[in-house]
Amino acid sequence: MRLLRLLAVAVVVALLGLLVWDMAQADGSKVAKKVDQGQVVAAPKLVLPYHDRDGSFDLAAQRGKVVVVNFWASWCQGCKKEAGALNAAARYWRDKGVVFLGVDVNDFRSAASRFVDRHDVAYTIVRDGPGSTLGKWGVTGLPETFFVDRKGRVVPPHVLAAATREQLDEGIRRARRS
Amino acid sequence: MRLVAVAAAVALFAAAAPALASDRHPTQGELERELVCPTCHTTLDESDAPIARQMKAEIRRRIAQGATKSQIEQELVDEFGPSVLGVPRKHGFDLLAWALPLGGVGVAAAGLAFGAWRWSRARDVGDTVSQAPSAAPLDPELDRRVDEELARFDA
Repeated sequence: MRLLRLLAVAVVVALLGLLVWDMAQADGSKVAKKVDQGQVVAAPKLVLPYHDRDGSFDLAAQRGKVVVVNFWASWCQGCKKEAGALNAAARYWRDKGVVFLGVDVNDFRSAASRFVDRHDVAYTIVRDGPGSTLGKWGVTGLPETFFVDRKGRVVPPHVLAAATREQLDEGIRRARRS
Repeated sequence: MRLVAVAAAVALFAAAAPALASDRHPTQGELERELVCPTCHTTLDESDAPIARQMKAEIRRRIAQGATKSQIEQELVDEFGPSVLGVPRKHGFDLLAWALPLGGVGVAAAGLAFGAWRWSRARDVGDTVSQAPSAAPLDPELDRRVDEELARFDA
């Protein structure tokens, strides 16, 4: 009988643990919220495979550089609209210690390749087919763009629609000052 | 005994044949009902999201090429992860999704059976204990007094 009680307690503890773990995962959504409220928060872990070559991109390895993290997909209209501005900004800031990263989410690899070719994308693209990073960053739609400063912190602004060149330059300047 | 074995083999074949046929010649409808759109998390047949439309087109293309159901599912899992499967697979780690609920039901049934057994056993013992005094012979002195009281009552 004591064994049964212990088993029941273990099951309840395991379920509570699962609940806490799930809440901790969902907690990432606060990154976007906090940044929108003007706060500076540590960037969530982001390690994803490159779209066009072997190996993975690790955001943590970019300390000392400003990183523009853009979530996109080939089927997203806003992503097509902002492609020109992103490309121009990436080319302009490339030699000034700024890294542009495109995170292709919920997308076919072949469709993403066509998008990259059509828009002559000039920066690093990584793949997140299942969209596993969206929750951690608090991404609720596509496209969305975040700015990570040299210390690995996400700083305002957070662009919630197709980014313009002005928004990108402003975000980069603020990240560089942070 | 041989008849039972033959019947079991026939039953197994009857159950497996539609599954095999479905794997070799999947239909657009069944795949759309079993696969989930990664952006809206509903099955493809209920979704009109851009990526769901692309997935439907890809399924149509692969069926036309003669791909099996498991090939198409695996290709979509490679692109979007295992969450595109509406139901978990029945092998590897995913088997846990089937085994755990069934195991839970089994443990609960075993617990209920054990509880019922203990309860009925306790009741049997209780009945035996409650019957015990009436079955035992009365003390002679008490027996005499009961007789006296009854005689007085009759009078």
